[in-house]
Amino acid sequence: MKSPKKHDFDETDFARAKAEIGGIAKQSGALVWGVAAADAFDDAPEGRRPFDLLPKAEGVLVVGGAQPRAGDWQSPNYQHMEVTTTSDRIHGLALKLARVVEDRYGYYAVCVPPGVDHGQQPFMSIAMAADLAGCGSKSLAGPVLHPEYGFMYFGAIVTTMPLPADSPPGTPACPAPECVEMYSAEGLTPCTRVCPIESGGCLGGRIEGGRIVERQYDQARCATRVQNYWVPGFQKVLGETLREKDSEKQKMMLYSSMFSRTLWSMTYSNVSQGQCAECMRVCPLGRAHRTRQ
Amino acid sequence: MKSATNNAVNEVTLESRTEQVKQFALGAGANVVGVADPRAWEEYAPEGHRPNDILSGARSVVVVGSRGPTAGAWRSPNHRLMEVNGYDFRNDAAIHRVADVIESEYGHQAIQAPGLPTGGHLPPMSMMLSAVLAGLGTRSLAANIILNPKYGLLYYSACITTLELEFDHMLEQDVCPHQMCVQTFRRFGKTPCMAACPAEEGGCLDGSIDEQGRIESSFYDRERCVSRAMNFGINSFQKALAQIVAEEDQEAQKNMIHSDFFSRSCSAITHYKESVAQCFECMRVCPIGRAERKLK
Repeated sequence: MKSPKKHDFDETDFARAKAEIGGIAKQSGALVWGVAAADAFDDAPEGRRPFDLLPKAEGVLVVGGAQPRAGDWQSPNYQHMEVTTTSDRIHGLALKLARVVEDRYGYYAVCVPPGVDHGQQPFMSIAMAADLAGCGSKSLAGPVLHPEYGFMYFGAIVTTMPLPADSPPGTPACPAPECVEMYSAEGLTPCTRVCPIESGGCLGGRIEGGRIVERQYDQARCATRVQNYWVPGFQKVLGETLREKDSEKQKMMLYSSMFSRTLWSMTYSNVSQGQCAECMRVCPLGRAHRTRQ
Repeated sequence: MKSATNNAVNEVTLESRTEQVKQFALGAGANVVGVADPRAWEEYAPEGHRPNDILSGARSVVVVGSRGPTAGAWRSPNHRLMEVNGYDFRNDAAIHRVADVIESEYGHQAIQAPGLPTGGHLPPMSMMLSAVLAGLGTRSLAANIILNPKYGLLYYSACITTLELEFDHMLEQDVCPHQMCVQTFRRFGKTPCMAACPAEEGGCLDGSIDEQGRIESSFYDRERCVSRAMNFGINSFQKALAQIVAEEDQEAQKNMIHSDFFSRSCSAITHYKESVAQCFECMRVCPIGRAERKLK
């Protein structure tokens, strides 16, 4: 049996340990990583802070990556993205790093679950953690965006290890200079134009002095577009199917493409967590990484 | 790697070949690994549930165990976190890699032993029995969970193969009861796990320890345990669905479908692997493997 090595660290070792963990994260596929101070989550509701998940938490280690590949963005079959882009890979990496923190350094580590807790609320906002750890910043489109890579998935580990904390980026990644320019000319950015809230879309906002000063995001409307085939889609189609009085029609509904896809999307097949990525498709951040020959 | 490597690895001794496979399993994410003799099942498992019923010509069964929750997850005051993070399927991933390397490097057939129910609620092959026969642990008073002497609770997967390997022996010393539990039983008539979930007070566990400090009798109310440990999962989904279908009031039915309970039941069966189990209390108080859960 393997025995975990539990070292006693002094203060000066934590910076080195942080670099080691970052090295493992990058070697394992993370594009970005950082540490948020556990006491920096002032904006999070009670019950959803690092201390609520792990007593005596000192920091939140954040890793980001596993974003759709350049080829994924190019596929003319939009359903391809539904099936192949999920947060699974980055969550697996976060689980691995939690083990590294415990086995190599002897500190408690808890991987923040990617799903939702009571009332459809996340256990802890991984987006907020990513922002506070300097892995990106909130965007007009919704996701936390990295200045170089743009959209990606994040995983977070709450730990009692006092790793030196990073800070949120001084200059937010969003809006990108191109978007500021476009907003000045048209009053819209690429993302707010592709899904305008005033025309039945989900996004809106204002930019002043090159910064976001107002953001409008219709989360409920977005969910009806992004999650047509997943738990919400299944619940919707189940209700309609049960209300159908004609048994022949009901049978057709049960075996329909819609119902089949909702079931596929809920299983381990990793199908269809999200079915709309249009606001990210037009985002200039990370475009270089979405572009190949 | 292919034929040339196959010839090379076939020349190694049984002992070194076994060590190679074990080291590979540990590198693939297993915390413990052992090898069992497929013939050993004949004494314990009914026909149809033995390694040779699943892979003809099986000569060895490689069994791996992996830890579930991190030590931090055990300490979390949010019990839901353990539900979601309690199991990361690392043992399955490790055993698949073991099977891959046996087929590609040693040229022998290797399959993952099926440990989930395929008919009724019985698995084709018991992973608990596999772990015991491979010398990785022994049955405990706490819900019959197989406890490893070092780590306590582990999740097990097995690989059945036609490759001949050196067998491990079953543990001679029972892992459960721990010396501390023997003392508490003699003083209070209960072990920590029995005290956490006493059968006579609506719980699931009971038992006794003899004068030699071994389990004399054990009682485990599996159905009751399921109703507590699996509130959100396939069971709850089936239960909720039956209630939803039977509901005649359309508005009430709609509310049931979109309720927190049904949403969580749906989440529990999705790929998020939420809520495999929702009660770990008998393991939380178990002294075996506690050192592995005690960190800074």
